[in-house]
Amino acid sequence: MDLLWTISTTLLLCSLLSILWKEFDRRRNRSCYLLDFVCYKPSDDRKLSSELCSDIIVRNKRLSVPDYKFLLKVVVNSGISEETYGPRSIIEGREECPTHDDCVDEVDDCMYRTLDELFLRTGISPIDVDVLVVNVSMFAPSPSLTSRIVNRYRMREDVKNFSLVGMGCSASPIAIDLVNNIFETRKRTLAVVVTSESIAPNWYCGTDKSMMLGNCLFRSGGCSFMLTNDPSLKHRAKMNLKCLVRAHIGANDDAYGCAIQKEDDEGRVGFHLSKSLPKAAVRAFAENLQRLAPKVLPMGELALYVLRGFRHRLWRSKEAKTDAATAARVNFKSGVDHFCLHTGGAAVIDAVGRALGLTNYDMEPARMTLHRWGNTSASSLWYVLGYMEAKKRLRRKDRVLMLSFGAGFKCNSCLWEVLRDLNDGGAWDDCIRAYPPQTLDNPFIEKFGWVKEA
Amino acid sequence: MPRAPLPEFSSSVKLKYVKLGYQYLVNNFVTLLLIPVMAAVYLELVRMGPEEIMGLWRSLRLDLIQILCSFFVIIFAATVYLTSRPQPVYLVDYACFKPPTTCRVPFSTFMEHTRLISSDEKSVRFQMRILERSGLGEETCLPPANHYIPPRPTMEASRAEAQLVIFSAIDDLVRKTGLRPKDIDILVVNCSLFSPTPSLSAMIINKYKLRSNVRSFNLSGMGCSAGLISVDLARDLLQVHRSSNALVISTEIITPNFYAGNQRSMLLPNCLFRMGAAAILLSNRRRDARRAKYRLVHVVRTHKGADDRAYRCVYQEEDAEGHSGISLSKDLMAIAGEALKSNITTIGPLVLPMSEQLLFFLTLVGRKLINPKWKPYIPDFKLAFEHFCIHAGGRAVIDELQKNLELSAEHVEASRMTLHRFGNTSSSSLWYELNYIESKGRMRRGDRVWQIGFGSGFKCNSAVWKCLRTVKTPVDGPWSDCIDRYPVDIPEVVKL
Repeated sequence: MDLLWTISTTLLLCSLLSILWKEFDRRRNRSCYLLDFVCYKPSDDRKLSSELCSDIIVRNKRLSVPDYKFLLKVVVNSGISEETYGPRSIIEGREECPTHDDCVDEVDDCMYRTLDELFLRTGISPIDVDVLVVNVSMFAPSPSLTSRIVNRYRMREDVKNFSLVGMGCSASPIAIDLVNNIFETRKRTLAVVVTSESIAPNWYCGTDKSMMLGNCLFRSGGCSFMLTNDPSLKHRAKMNLKCLVRAHIGANDDAYGCAIQKEDDEGRVGFHLSKSLPKAAVRAFAENLQRLAPKVLPMGELALYVLRGFRHRLWRSKEAKTDAATAARVNFKSGVDHFCLHTGGAAVIDAVGRALGLTNYDMEPARMTLHRWGNTSASSLWYVLGYMEAKKRLRRKDRVLMLSFGAGFKCNSCLWEVLRDLNDGGAWDDCIRAYPPQTLDNPFIEKFGWVKEA
Repeated sequence: MPRAPLPEFSSSVKLKYVKLGYQYLVNNFVTLLLIPVMAAVYLELVRMGPEEIMGLWRSLRLDLIQILCSFFVIIFAATVYLTSRPQPVYLVDYACFKPPTTCRVPFSTFMEHTRLISSDEKSVRFQMRILERSGLGEETCLPPANHYIPPRPTMEASRAEAQLVIFSAIDDLVRKTGLRPKDIDILVVNCSLFSPTPSLSAMIINKYKLRSNVRSFNLSGMGCSAGLISVDLARDLLQVHRSSNALVISTEIITPNFYAGNQRSMLLPNCLFRMGAAAILLSNRRRDARRAKYRLVHVVRTHKGADDRAYRCVYQEEDAEGHSGISLSKDLMAIAGEALKSNITTIGPLVLPMSEQLLFFLTLVGRKLINPKWKPYIPDFKLAFEHFCIHAGGRAVIDELQKNLELSAEHVEASRMTLHRFGNTSSSSLWYELNYIESKGRMRRGDRVWQIGFGSGFKCNSAVWKCLRTVKTPVDGPWSDCIDRYPVDIPEVVKL
């Protein structure tokens, strides 16, 4: 009965091969490729110079002279240039009473411009999009922003759309996490993510100092990017997602309340940033790094870290060391080549850079992004990435770490691997040659020099 | 409307039995085929006797290797089959918010407040007419901030309402299921018209001290069908993360959305929307399968946003005086019907029995090839589902769906009674309706439930659940104190 023996061994081999194929296929599906990303560049009539900022601040008649000085000091020392953009309604004087159309137009301009360019550059038609995610933290009209996009681009009926709202400056990795999870359940899926922030409806018109910082630092910006898990598009992809870590310390009351939208004593809604924000940021950061380090660092570095930890415990000094300081001993640069840091402010970038042991060269993209674009909230990571690409820093097999903080309090990070040498100018195309500039100081520091005496 | 291809038989009673026989034949085709085959094999075995059977076995000359190989083949085939199946998603339990009686808004209170707030006599009368025909009862509830004259839609009051409805629902769910907040792996919150920063999901993480690696998502602006979108997202996440559970919160916060103007198309939400919230625990753990109430079978999402008419039919905008509100277009019912048709086209083949699909297919072929005048066959969804939960968006929506799907009064009773007792609670209404069916003792093991939600965009989403254990009454929930009074007869017009 050789025939029977042959049949049974063939069947056995077939089932073994099918299991192996299934496993291989599942791993293939796990990929999340970044096909392309487009950062938003508003029109030049929306530029916010320091002079214009000062005019806008002075329009608020409720503020006293010390308040003006405080705000101008923030603007001048923020590390933000004269080239950043603001919403039209604020520039035109309607900051205290923006209409619904103002808010919608602000977001529409960002979404449609970036999406038009994204579809043009990738050559992919909107009808092929399977998943659509929009995250704009502080504006959620009905129908949702995703419905606006589905309507404008006539997308399919079965497109899976999600509108993430309220997730703060750290929403980009959250959107990527959502898409990545969906990718693991479906094959050959194409996803488009739009990330932006809405400033027009959120201008603070009161006198509470903790709520006025947002007015000075947030600027208009946004980004649309396309992700896919289709292996046939790998050759066109820019980067591949390696891992993603989300840490949420909202269980701690101080952390939850340190960046919160609420009413001031006079009933005006503003975004309150408390003094305990840096502490919450450090805790969230440490939480995130603890889980990120094993996924990102090479074995050698991890072993060294463990050994250092043992030594530290055995020969403990009298002073207690914080987790962030311990993190400084870990050399993240052994596993990561480029760092996309959230441009929350000059102090944030410096603090994170110090904690990770980064040089000025490493922090340059984030500092330059803060200078050129301001704090564009969740999309800032993409402007930083755009800088690196325009400066031709991103080479094949390089690893890029995106790190951001958000209200809640969250710290999210994701690691990408570059798939090919990248050299698109993107939104930086017309100004990259001027970077880095000689000085980051505000050119009006002489004019507003009196704030230094304040 | 005649349903059979040959209209002259449609009135015959005998046709009913022909249809039943046809359904039995087609749906159990494989079984019917197998019976004569099994019988023949058995008779043959009996005829052959044990010695002949042993002789046949020996003649195969199977040795140990071949037996082992065949054995391994069977084991491997079974493993491949089991691992390739999608992970089942179980609904362990759910809890709905029961509004306190202090928040009740009887008709008289509503009209009195409206007269005091609004200066325009015409819009007051218009709202009265809506209320008369709305199908709402006298026990629906509005949040405390809306009881002020005029309402005080502050952010603090909105957060307070959110805390009241969401935390009550979660506390209830924790009590029912013994869930420990530290065990929650996934959190999805949907609330369409209130989206503070930090999000409502962060608020829940803060209150219940959830873990730092919880995967949380906050969906907003997605309308009244967002509850099913959250369930869809939770399901996708549960496919990827083994041995996890997901907490889904569906709610609508009424406080910030009071419309203070006089444009008619924007006054309806004031009259219909009421307080509500639901907390749902989903899981893919094997041990939860034993105590779970339902298993999720399908979720189908349809988005008609590509069509401008559908996109504009529920639209937030400012009126001429600058008051922000949600405008509902007159085409809403027609668009809902079309969206439902699209959704049915996808869900039909997944849930309808073979007999209905075959009839539909044959009628389609017949219309194309033989005679285009044949009436299109509308599949009978009552064969696929025992219970229907239609979003209690308003009386007209329920009427329209009852007509389209040819449902009886009992099928839509849950929706009508939920609208009467709780009003339009937006995305959580489907869960109040499910609770009604359970409270009435109608939910048996093996029953299939179809939840249909509509929302701005225009979306039509549906979910299919299968009941895993008979739900015994009395059921702990928002209906526990009033289920005996229901169903009530809701008149066409309640004279105010």
